[in-house]
Amino acid sequence: MVSPFRVVTPTTVPEAAAEMERLGDAARIYAGGAELLLLMRNGLLEPDYLVNIKQVPSLHGINWDGHVLRVGAAVTHRQLERDPQVHAHAPTLGEAEHHIGNIRVRTQGTLGGNLAFADPHADPGTALLVHDASVTVEGPRGPRQLLLDDFFVSTYETALEPDELLTEVQVPPLPFGWGWAYERIERFYRPTVNAAAAIAANDGRIAEVRLAVGCVGPRALRLRELEEKLQGLNLADAKRVIGESSEYLVEQLEPVGDLLGGADYKIHVTGVLLARAVEQALARTGDRDDRQ
Amino acid sequence: MIGSELRLQTVQTAPVSLMVNGQPWSGDVPVEEVLLDLIRSRIGLTGTKRGCESEVCGACEVLVDGAPVSSCNFLAFEANGREHTTIEGVADGDQLHPVQEAFIRNVAAQCGYCTSGQIMSAVALLRENTSPTYEEIAQWMVGNICRCGCYPAIARSIMEAGEELRAKGGANGQG
Repeated sequence: MVSPFRVVTPTTVPEAAAEMERLGDAARIYAGGAELLLLMRNGLLEPDYLVNIKQVPSLHGINWDGHVLRVGAAVTHRQLERDPQVHAHAPTLGEAEHHIGNIRVRTQGTLGGNLAFADPHADPGTALLVHDASVTVEGPRGPRQLLLDDFFVSTYETALEPDELLTEVQVPPLPFGWGWAYERIERFYRPTVNAAAAIAANDGRIAEVRLAVGCVGPRALRLRELEEKLQGLNLADAKRVIGESSEYLVEQLEPVGDLLGGADYKIHVTGVLLARAVEQALARTGDRDDRQ
Repeated sequence: MIGSELRLQTVQTAPVSLMVNGQPWSGDVPVEEVLLDLIRSRIGLTGTKRGCESEVCGACEVLVDGAPVSSCNFLAFEANGREHTTIEGVADGDQLHPVQEAFIRNVAAQCGYCTSGQIMSAVALLRENTSPTYEEIAQWMVGNICRCGCYPAIARSIMEAGEELRAKGGANGQG
């Protein structure tokens, strides 16, 4: 059973921020409830108030503004999974969204909730990192924008202040001609490990590459040193370098053994998924649909 | 401004008026109550089952405005103003839904506990796509667990029901 609480339903972002400031630590933002209600039902979280942001119209849009895909924090995974703009401009995100939980979780859960919850076993964050996505958070001191890479801090921990809420996610498209991939293996319907890659190729070699890995340690991460090492390599050499990187992966990803897999296993799988992602992304270079 | 102050009151109970299987229901519910308890205990429709209570198993699945939802993890006050379909509303009077008929024909249940949720999920899938492939069925139904292992019969039933719905010209008009 859920212990009793009260609900407040603002209709604008400033109202929501004012409520978070007024209610302080006793309040939690309620967007989709897919993760929040689970914790509350298990007694792991007992907020006195839920600030229900579902009635804030500005948080529900998916808009391509000609440069960036803008996703409101209360947009559901199902909306993202089905939106042609998402698949056209941020296919990595579209693919990640398709794999989240199950059809009911995707119907209920929101992108903003997923990112703000910062469960390390999540799909969208890893995909968004290779898009160099950013987020807008708003509080009583006004809005601020930060890179998703700076928003994620650790397990269940983000750069959000207690009186701030995540309002929008900005997803820049990959540059023209880049290939992409999102790979995961799962157990219990959550990814054990996931990996995303975005690659520009030149004559069959990697000209530029972005790599991200999630679920292994406290947060999803870009692997910037490995990205540099892969520049100029063909697929076979790239796979060899990835295969020789387990020490670097351990150091960067700080693997944590959990119900989904031991630390050694996760590092092994990370290497396998990175190699698959690089191969898939390379194969997709140059054939991206034109952006509308 | 008065309107804004009223909206920003915090509430412990909420008035809920909703439709279930075409019938209206109204009442006050505590905001922490989940839709599963509203449907089973207040409305008295017990075909919807309590399962894992973790959004994993699908036994509690109902359709809210046509979309599949885990009623165990959905706050009942959110049901206000919306249309719900439970397993009791899938048939058209005495005429079973093609998914129900196919489940019976293929013996797609052993203990039957998950069956309400399986059928709700299948109905939702066929409303979107009356010719799903086996892979599409497997991906859509990943959140409907059958520990008796009736998956092959369930998948076959969905394909057969899809065929019947295609012959009838669509999946609409039911529930």
